[in-house]
Amino acid sequence: MSWRQIFLVLKREYITRVKSKGFIWATILVPVGFAAVIGIMVFITVWESESTFEVAIKDDTGQVAPSLIEINERRYLDYSDLEIDSLRTLVQQDRITGYIVITEENITERRNPELIYRGSGGMEFLMSVESDFRQVIREVRLSRAEVSEEIQEIYEARINLDTRRLTREGEEQDDDTIFLSFVGMLLGIIIFISIFSYGGYITRGVIEEKTNRIVEVIASSVKPIELLTGKMAGVGALAITQFTIWILAFAGLTTIAGPVAMSLMESSASASGDLTAAEAELPAFLDFPTVEISLIVYFIIFFILGYLLYSSLFAAIGSAADSDTDTQQLMLPITIPIMIAYFIMFHTWRSPDSILSVVSSIIPFFSPILMITRIAITDVPFWQIGSSILLMILTFAGTMWLSSKIYKVGILSYGSTASFKDILKWIRQ
Amino acid sequence: MTTIDVNNLSKTFGKTKAVIDASFEVERGRIFGLLGPNGAGKTTTIRMINFIMPPDEGEILINGVKAGPKTQRWIGYMPEERGLYKKMKVGEQLIYLAQLKGLTASDAREKIRYWLKRFGAYDWHSKTVGELSKGMSQKIQFIATIVHDPDIYIFDEPFSGLDPINSELLKEIIIELREKGKTILFSTHRMEQVEQMCDDICLFNNGKVVLTGNLRKVKKDFGKNTVLIEFEGDPAFLDQLENVRINNRSTNFAEIRILEGLDHQDILRKAMENTEVHKFQLVEPSLNEIFISTVGEDNIKQKELAV
Repeated sequence: MSWRQIFLVLKREYITRVKSKGFIWATILVPVGFAAVIGIMVFITVWESESTFEVAIKDDTGQVAPSLIEINERRYLDYSDLEIDSLRTLVQQDRITGYIVITEENITERRNPELIYRGSGGMEFLMSVESDFRQVIREVRLSRAEVSEEIQEIYEARINLDTRRLTREGEEQDDDTIFLSFVGMLLGIIIFISIFSYGGYITRGVIEEKTNRIVEVIASSVKPIELLTGKMAGVGALAITQFTIWILAFAGLTTIAGPVAMSLMESSASASGDLTAAEAELPAFLDFPTVEISLIVYFIIFFILGYLLYSSLFAAIGSAADSDTDTQQLMLPITIPIMIAYFIMFHTWRSPDSILSVVSSIIPFFSPILMITRIAITDVPFWQIGSSILLMILTFAGTMWLSSKIYKVGILSYGSTASFKDILKWIRQ
Repeated sequence: MTTIDVNNLSKTFGKTKAVIDASFEVERGRIFGLLGPNGAGKTTTIRMINFIMPPDEGEILINGVKAGPKTQRWIGYMPEERGLYKKMKVGEQLIYLAQLKGLTASDAREKIRYWLKRFGAYDWHSKTVGELSKGMSQKIQFIATIVHDPDIYIFDEPFSGLDPINSELLKEIIIELREKGKTILFSTHRMEQVEQMCDDICLFNNGKVVLTGNLRKVKKDFGKNTVLIEFEGDPAFLDQLENVRINNRSTNFAEIRILEGLDHQDILRKAMENTEVHKFQLVEPSLNEIFISTVGEDNIKQKELAV
């Protein structure tokens, strides 16, 4: 192998692609899209805090309305003095969202409160009203039953599970399992998409050289294995470039997103003259727990190994196909393992330590997607990570050997797309 | 001195024996024609000389060195299936191809400038190949083949797909290269092209070399036993001739190969009895005729010998 030739091929692959419009647009649009999503979410939060659904309470008992107003004074209005007809008119004119009449029956009997409204607000609104009423009516019932304070407290207690992680070194940490589960899934999906998109670049590049009929000119100067290696390295360098730009853009966006959202909310709060909103905390989705460096390093390792493992196969498929449209059937042997890994990921995401998750994360064709998901979520024993990496390297050697055999013959076979039978013959040659 | 020395070359693809025990030598400073019908094994042989695929058996020596990455740089190769990157600019593309042949970028740039100017194509430097016409991109293809100034040039079916202007241009280039002392090997299934240009030939059929040597000598060995006749009148007399093979025939012209025994004067006599003879000439056989009589009529598919 001549490194000079490989480098020349790499350089061409990289430069022509990096200058292409498609690449430039994708590189710009992804962070812009990300910024847009964050922007929309900030906008929704800001906007949501302004919009209020006003529910009029006509409270015949006199015990329910005050507690409700205590819970949310902007939503619940004590309209006990008004007649039902006037309340109906208010709702009809959209002056208020709806009204609820509370009578003795709601407390003494098992009769549900009834919300009369125009139908706006949606599920979230209904559920929060429901839970507010459940709480308040239960409190009234408890107090009427004259149960001891002790029992009242028992009923009022809301039990949640708090979790802390104990590291092997004996340190207790805040547990971000839920956040990390999403990170794990995200990383898995990123690798899944990358394998397909960068692999697709390679397949199309190989087919392009075949259909342009330049490949034989190149082959008279470069060994097929050098051409293949150069191509894979070139597209790999492209992937690294794109990801570096994206990661920098994301890092930048997430650092400025918080303060920007803050100032937006402050300004909107001061405009509405409501000071309590300004004191509100950042919305939860902008409060990123820190991701460990080791996870990023593992992501890079599994990303690169996954890319290498599959990209040579994508090149082999390109060499066996005669036109862009003929790749579908040939793609199957690659698509199936990636898709299986992708589906298992939705199981792994929920139970990362199940036998299915552990075993399939060590299978080399699944590792790039599943192991990174597991590493993100749970504490994976090092022997599992180590053996999956080792197996992937060995498998890469195998796929590279196989692909170079197919590629060598495929690039010079014109006229028709090869069948699997043909490909088998090429390998045996 | 031998530039390309092919010894007992064999190559098999699955069950197909593409090349069987082929040997020939290409001398320095000469134009060598590799001839034969489609599927005879020419392209496979050429690919092995270019080290694009390895031989199963046998050996290829280029200037005494076994074919390999090193010898690739001494060769300029224009394959039958040829093309360029459509989206790449002409200049960048030529630099890339020249660099792959071992030139430095600055060296390549200088030579590319020379050739683009020479072909009146200097303005195309910054255009992509996709923007060029077919004829224009063929010229770029020539430049890509010769830009690294190798000693050996290999053209596989060079004239197929070329427009007449570029065909002439390529012939000029080939002749000019020979005058500079370069060695040229080209393959074709169109025998008549070779007659004008080749010094030496090698005939391929079904993967085997059936005849190789100096074109003049090959023809001389076959003797002056072909008659070219032009006449006016009923050509039916041609069908009555025995022991001949009529290769090229139209209403008032025929190329007749005399096989055995028959005196060419007999043909003339018969022709004069039946028609008005305008021209009667005794010549060396055409390459096409030599090919047919070497491999035997039964062993070739006539339609594959293009006219």
